[in-house]
Amino acid sequence: MRATLERAAQPRTRRAITRPQLIKGTVTAAIILFTLFGLPEFMSLYYVDTMTQVAVYSMVALALGVLVGRVGLVSLGQVAVLAVGAWVAARLLFATTQPYLLVVLEAGLVTMLAGTLIGLPALRLRGLYLALITLMLAGGITVVLATVNFPNGGHGFLGYNGSQVHIPPIRRPSIAASDPAYFRYSVIIAIVMFALVLAHIKTKPGRAWAAIRQSEPAALAAGINTWFYKLWAFALASFITGVAGGVLAGAIHYLYSINFPAQDSITLLAVTLMGGVFSLWGAVVAALLYQFLPALLNNWGVSADWLIILFGVGVLQVLTTAPAGLADQVPKDLARLGRFLRRRLTRGSAP
Amino acid sequence: MPTWQNFEPFIVSGLALGGVYALSGVGLIVLYRATGVLYLAFGAVGALGALIAWSLATVSTPGWLTWLACIAAAAAVTLGYGLLFGPALARRDPLVKAVATIGLTLILYGVMDLLWTTSGGQARSLTLPTDNYTFTIGQIQVTWTQVIALGAGVVLTVGTAAFLHYTKIGTAMRAMANDRDITATLGVPVRKVEAAAWLGCGVLSGIAGLLLADLVALDATTLTFLVISSLAAVLVARLRSIPVTFAAAIVVGLVHDLLTPIVALSNYRDMTPFVIAAIGLLVLSRHQVIATSREEA
Repeated sequence: MRATLERAAQPRTRRAITRPQLIKGTVTAAIILFTLFGLPEFMSLYYVDTMTQVAVYSMVALALGVLVGRVGLVSLGQVAVLAVGAWVAARLLFATTQPYLLVVLEAGLVTMLAGTLIGLPALRLRGLYLALITLMLAGGITVVLATVNFPNGGHGFLGYNGSQVHIPPIRRPSIAASDPAYFRYSVIIAIVMFALVLAHIKTKPGRAWAAIRQSEPAALAAGINTWFYKLWAFALASFITGVAGGVLAGAIHYLYSINFPAQDSITLLAVTLMGGVFSLWGAVVAALLYQFLPALLNNWGVSADWLIILFGVGVLQVLTTAPAGLADQVPKDLARLGRFLRRRLTRGSAP
Repeated sequence: MPTWQNFEPFIVSGLALGGVYALSGVGLIVLYRATGVLYLAFGAVGALGALIAWSLATVSTPGWLTWLACIAAAAAVTLGYGLLFGPALARRDPLVKAVATIGLTLILYGVMDLLWTTSGGQARSLTLPTDNYTFTIGQIQVTWTQVIALGAGVVLTVGTAAFLHYTKIGTAMRAMANDRDITATLGVPVRKVEAAAWLGCGVLSGIAGLLLADLVALDATTLTFLVISSLAAVLVARLRSIPVTFAAAIVVGLVHDLLTPIVALSNYRDMTPFVIAAIGLLVLSRHQVIATSREEA
């Protein structure tokens, strides 16, 4: 896992936009426009729902990527954080008539608060210990959620009524009631979250995180308030994951605690590492691996167990040979293949 | 409020569980001290061994052979992983090494779910013959499996501590825990000592898998994630002290089972390892030290 300190620590000078930057920007814009307007038109509802999940989990992977790739904090409990976000959103959606977007924002803020409160003591630990304490805390949250259950329209603080026969679905925003419309809605929220992270990486927090990642004692010696910036990263990651939970609540209408098993956090870390933690595209790749691939295999009748095995192999491969993940490796390999083919072709045409 | 009689049977089962957690924890610590790897696949490897034993038992293989197969399979997988990925990751951060074993966990988990499908509905069980031999202390019925579980925990804790202290290879392991490079300079065959640690840890995971499959359940998911209880004990011991691991493991096992008869807390009893690990870690980390060595504490 080599850090991208140089890139993050570059001084901010106003330069003219270079050609690669222009190409990158155009491609990104084209992909976003296609995802928003082209994709829902020719997909079946099954895949529209799947892609909505991809949008949700790209945010979760993004948050985990910030922690792992930017700051060097490994969290083994992100799915529990997602569950907290979804719980808060579901409770607010049943209890109030607030606009959906406001509820999503509130879910993010409450999750951020919870994440920060947990992070305060946990950040005294580092490395392996921090990773394990997140695993322990996530396990604890999972047990609590299995007991209190998700709100299903009941009353009281917990909003759960075990004897309810007709469980009302969690509502969606009125502008995005249909599945394709909700897909677009989720993608737009995801884009905002990606922009939020990009804004962090390009400015002071990103530089501080890069320094902490390289060496915490050195960052401390350079006058960086390491504790503050680590907590900031924790808060940002919790906020984004909470927002993802809020979007997830409307996407699947009914929430159950079995949707958020603790082991999913481990799979999530695996796909995030495979996608690549040093590039924002890595989060999108991770979400596709995590949600789209199982849906595809399910459609083809292939057991999802093969995917788990693939993820396991992928983690070992990423850690031993390709630390920057698929988002970095695939373009590099394609470029290498292109060079190879060009060389073969030019050699072939020469007498 | 439950009476004392309600708690009595759970003391025995709690001690038995604690014994298995202790022997797992000792295995984890020895491997971590010798190689810097926190072996998160410990539970999955044990589960694989137990499932292989179950499959062998269904084709009427003698009992002792199935147990041996369980331990051998767990040891072989662990040693194989150690030989293949140990050297490749030797110079990496302990965190990276631990995450790599998550990769192994996922592979094993996928394989187990594929070969021993759980969705079929039929519950598997692995019973050791010692389940049939019981005796009573006061009013409590105790099976010999429970005695063996606690006994194995005690014997292996004491045995491992003695092994590390008195044998040559144990001394080499302790030296490597302090500094791998200097130990290598002194002429210790580092790779061989590491392989011995991997093998030992694999054998312990096989034993733990066999006992837990009998005491708890023979199910890939359950057994894979039971390692968390041992991890809690290991964390309280800060990946260092074997006696503290033993004590913490017994406490985790006892508290978990003693909460069962208390109605208000029964649902939350699975939180025991998490709560104990969290409290232990946070209390022990009051004094913050920034370490600059590769093996950060």
